[in-house]
Amino acid sequence: MFTIARKEVVETLRDGRFRALAILVLALSAASFAAGWRHYSDVQRQHLEAQEATRTQWLNQPAKNPHSAAHYGMYAFKPKSRLSLVDSGIDPYVGVAAWLEAHRQNEFRYRPAQDRTAIQRFGELTAAEAFLVVLPLFIVLASFTAFAGEREQGTLRQLLSLGVATRDLVAGKALGVAAALGLVIVPATIIGVAALAATTEFGGLRADVPRAAWLAVMYLIYFATIVAISLAVSAWARSPRTALVILLAFWFANSLIVTRAAADLAAWLHPTPSAIEFQTAMERELSNQEEMRVRLDRRREELMRRYNVSSMDAVPINFSGISLQEGEERANEVFDRHYGGLFERYESQNRAFQWAGLAAPMLPVRSLSMALAGTDFAHHREFVTAAEEYRRGIQRVMNDDIARNSKPGAAYTAGAALWAEVPEFRYELPGVSWAMRQAAPSVGLLLAWCVAACWLAARATRRLGVV
Amino acid sequence: MLEAVHLTKHYNGVTALEDLTLRVNPGDVFCLLGANGAGKTTTINLFLNFVQPSSGTARINGLDVTEQSLETKKYLAYIPETVMLYKNLTGLENLEYFSALAGRSDCTRVQLLDFLKQVGLQPEAADQRVGTYSKGMRQKVGIAIALAKNARALLLDEPTSGLDPKAANEFSALLARLSQDGVAVLMATHDLFRAKESGTRVGIMRQGKLVRTLETTEVGHADLERIYLEHMHD
Repeated sequence: MFTIARKEVVETLRDGRFRALAILVLALSAASFAAGWRHYSDVQRQHLEAQEATRTQWLNQPAKNPHSAAHYGMYAFKPKSRLSLVDSGIDPYVGVAAWLEAHRQNEFRYRPAQDRTAIQRFGELTAAEAFLVVLPLFIVLASFTAFAGEREQGTLRQLLSLGVATRDLVAGKALGVAAALGLVIVPATIIGVAALAATTEFGGLRADVPRAAWLAVMYLIYFATIVAISLAVSAWARSPRTALVILLAFWFANSLIVTRAAADLAAWLHPTPSAIEFQTAMERELSNQEEMRVRLDRRREELMRRYNVSSMDAVPINFSGISLQEGEERANEVFDRHYGGLFERYESQNRAFQWAGLAAPMLPVRSLSMALAGTDFAHHREFVTAAEEYRRGIQRVMNDDIARNSKPGAAYTAGAALWAEVPEFRYELPGVSWAMRQAAPSVGLLLAWCVAACWLAARATRRLGVV
Repeated sequence: MLEAVHLTKHYNGVTALEDLTLRVNPGDVFCLLGANGAGKTTTINLFLNFVQPSSGTARINGLDVTEQSLETKKYLAYIPETVMLYKNLTGLENLEYFSALAGRSDCTRVQLLDFLKQVGLQPEAADQRVGTYSKGMRQKVGIAIALAKNARALLLDEPTSGLDPKAANEFSALLARLSQDGVAVLMATHDLFRAKESGTRVGIMRQGKLVRTLETTEVGHADLERIYLEHMHD
């Protein structure tokens, strides 16, 4: 088996086409890592600066009414996960910053993809793209002749006449392809690690190690799947040309068509409202004054009961603070319902996309890649929720202060001490186990693909026809 | 060593081989003569278990080839019309690879080079890539593989067709040597002259049937040709 593998590697290495292709793939992944690293460093630096600037602005507000401060607001910047330099996922499409202000949960703004043409969207080459799209092509080209080529050359007869067990032959071939692949993957990985290591100015790498390790494992399972499929087709096809055509068709469908088709299918199954529809529906509900009046009356009664008084004038706190907070609470319920519904739709789309992974191994590995890089929708939602929690916290601190400290009718201002009561916004990427739990169906599907492909290869090679 | 018992093969209703019974003992060189489609290659494919017999059995060293396919191949070497090798490897590397897969991974470089010398390959060719080889050189590497494997039975499918007379002659000499060493040889060929020269027996095949078997010592070359043509005509 190792004899076979060694001969495969020697033969492959002597093939000039292989060498050229290997260098090309390596150059592509190096370029994509470099671009990913630059982009990550630039954006991360800008975000840190902007985050600090917005914090400084907040703290340095002059004395003013807390509600004005709440309106003044601040930005929350989504920190880029370090592995986004491998797979930028949905980051370019969902926006990187939200304006946190009184009364409103704003949508995320500043989507890098907004500034691009449709062509550029296609053109973005991330390291994930190089690994998941270009490398499989390399695998196909390195292995389509494995059996079909030897059959055409006549060397398969020669091999089988020697009494080589087909099991050894298949294992040797797989190992040979794996070794040739390793010659590309290992240097590419080293470049990737170097790119990650060049970002230590933004904190230690330790937190990203489990994510990166799992990412590598998932990619390897994916590559194994492609190798097994290639060997199966090569064993099954009559001529190397047939094998190549079938495998190229598979590659094209798997890497280019299925992803788009699955996304379209998911959007068709679970349509999301347009931004205008969404806003209008939410505004309509927010502008319902009647409901607000009822709720405020209830709050007044509660307060009078709590302080055991019969008139609002006798309540020792300022009702305008309570009223503002009640407005927030009510709006929050509306936001939760509307954004929650919208996000549920996105989640449904994601689930549909995940299950479309039954059609091609690219889909589960793509979902997993984004999940582990921290750039999928689940991570985005997690961050949006955290930012919104933070916004609500600001409002609560401001409104509580108004209720406690201001007097009705009198002008009231608060100062730096109150601004500092609002803690700095800090967001930590969830742990790897959280990410893996979110992507559990994809893990299952990818493993299923790998097992099915190996079974197919075993079946196709059990009786190798020589004629 | 090689034994066919009522061996029959049909392909989609067409009979490729009908009721072949023959026996090739150690030291025998049995030449199968016949036109294209007479069933010579089918016979060899059946012994290699590359195709399944419709009925009857093929045995090598007493073992049924369909039941103990891998075991029977240990005794066997196969040399086709053109020995197929890996173009990007040298002759020596090809020999090393094939003999290692045949279970001789213990062969040293010196031993392997010696095999190539025995079959008459020019010493400087051993380290050249097979892509540059002539057909005769490939056939020699094929025999070297058989030597390295220490095969007890040899299946040859028109091994000398397209070889120049000198190369064909060398090939026959090697065959004679192997036969003296007790190797059983079954060779399919078109070449009556070669069959008479190197064969101990010849069998004439026509439309899947073995119609005549002769000892080569019994007949002269002219007689063999006459008998062959007689069988082809009726």
